[in-house]
Amino acid sequence: MPHLVRARALLGAALLLAAGCGVTGSSDVTAPATGSRLPPATTALATTAPDGTTYNAADVMFTQMMVAHHGQGIEIVRLASTRASSADVKTLAAAVEATQTAEVKTMSGWLRTWRKPATAAANEHAAHGGMPGTSNIEIRALKAKTGDTFDRAFLNMLIAHQDDAIQMARAETAAGANPEATGLAKRIDESRTAQIAQMLTMLGQG
Amino acid sequence: MNLRRTAATAIAALAAAPLVVMVLPSSPASGHGTMSNPASRVYTCWKEGPESPDSAACKAAVAAGGTQALYDWNEVSLLEAGGNHQGLIPDGKLCSAGRDKYRGLDLPRTDWPAKSISAGNQTLTYHATAPHLYGKFTFYITKAGWSPTTPLRWGDLVQIAEYTQNNPSFSWNVNVPSRSGRHIIYSIWQRFNGSNEAFYTCSDVNFGGGNPNPEPTATATPTPTPTPPPTTAPPQPGGTWQAYTAYAVGAQVTYAGLAYQCRQAHTSLPGWEPPNTAALWLQV
Repeated sequence: MPHLVRARALLGAALLLAAGCGVTGSSDVTAPATGSRLPPATTALATTAPDGTTYNAADVMFTQMMVAHHGQGIEIVRLASTRASSADVKTLAAAVEATQTAEVKTMSGWLRTWRKPATAAANEHAAHGGMPGTSNIEIRALKAKTGDTFDRAFLNMLIAHQDDAIQMARAETAAGANPEATGLAKRIDESRTAQIAQMLTMLGQG
Repeated sequence: MNLRRTAATAIAALAAAPLVVMVLPSSPASGHGTMSNPASRVYTCWKEGPESPDSAACKAAVAAGGTQALYDWNEVSLLEAGGNHQGLIPDGKLCSAGRDKYRGLDLPRTDWPAKSISAGNQTLTYHATAPHLYGKFTFYITKAGWSPTTPLRWGDLVQIAEYTQNNPSFSWNVNVPSRSGRHIIYSIWQRFNGSNEAFYTCSDVNFGGGNPNPEPTATATPTPTPTPPPTTAPPQPGGTWQAYTAYAVGAQVTYAGLAYQCRQAHTSLPGWEPPNTAALWLQV
């Protein structure tokens, strides 16, 4: 589907998200002393959804981005079901696909409850680099590999992808207001950290 | 092109046609940046081409950590750094910012492509693809006597300049001290006033004249990274759920007093507890 492919725009497409997207940041312009931890860059005011739960702009941004990011992850792990040579790699890929597919359904439900669009407006994240992405060039390169070479390239790609998810999750933990979303972010942080450790072991680097 | 409709189409296409690879269009200003002069390792390897790098070092970086790190050359960052650089980034992982995605950049090699440099006033430049306001830029160089076969440690660095700028120009005149041989110029770009994010760069430079012999203990003691314990044997049927355990379809466990049956084979992980993963565990 060529109209979906913007390979040039996506080369270098990266994890973007700065907490504060679309939200007023703090008014203090003084840089902190070296080594001091900044307070959350933004804990935006929370809104109450029709079902009584609260959410803020960080929750919305995290959820929209993570739905899209999960979609990419699912496409990546599906490649392993037929191409991976290691049974352990296939098992992990299948478990990631199953859990992330379920998480997408959950997060999509929140966006409907919050009456927010499934995706952010195209220019909403321009200030911090757009959406995380794995370009078609990389997917094609991966598909061209076989055997142990495929496994290693696949694991490297999934490690990078999950590492990005951890960064997004930590931004949500720092700035989100919705307990379900921050709870999911914490579990994403934990499970993807453990997945990466497992994959590094599979690569002989753990 | 209507990017919003394209994005929505992408989501719909994913749901309807599972074999379509969903690639979302990104905004024109994608990512944030890295040092371009002297070029950082990630910038150098990206310019060589992720799919077929030229230098031995960049080939090794791709072999060790994959290509995504290079495609995302402008995102070697910690979103929630908040100034806590030394607390978050272990010795040996400064070039990757402690991010497993970028671990190829940490390789201690004597053949990273390096810019020839002299002591004295130098212009350092950042290629900022998203030039955020409000940044503190700190520049370091490795100490005299440092050897490139040593994984880079915080204690190897000495600060040479720092700028706090509300509207950064991403170009600075820095007085580079005298050195011999190969060294690293390290930078930290800490955003403030709206973000805790910080960016990290390693730029290899060569003063000529050679480096000393490597230290006898060339490899720094690595900070222990959490490694999962070996996968255990299948647990007793009906036992308590445990992490790092291989569960086959049909395995039964209890968790917080409730019984579950495994519906998807997997090795259990923290964050994948039964109550939270209906895709893996059916409550029975």
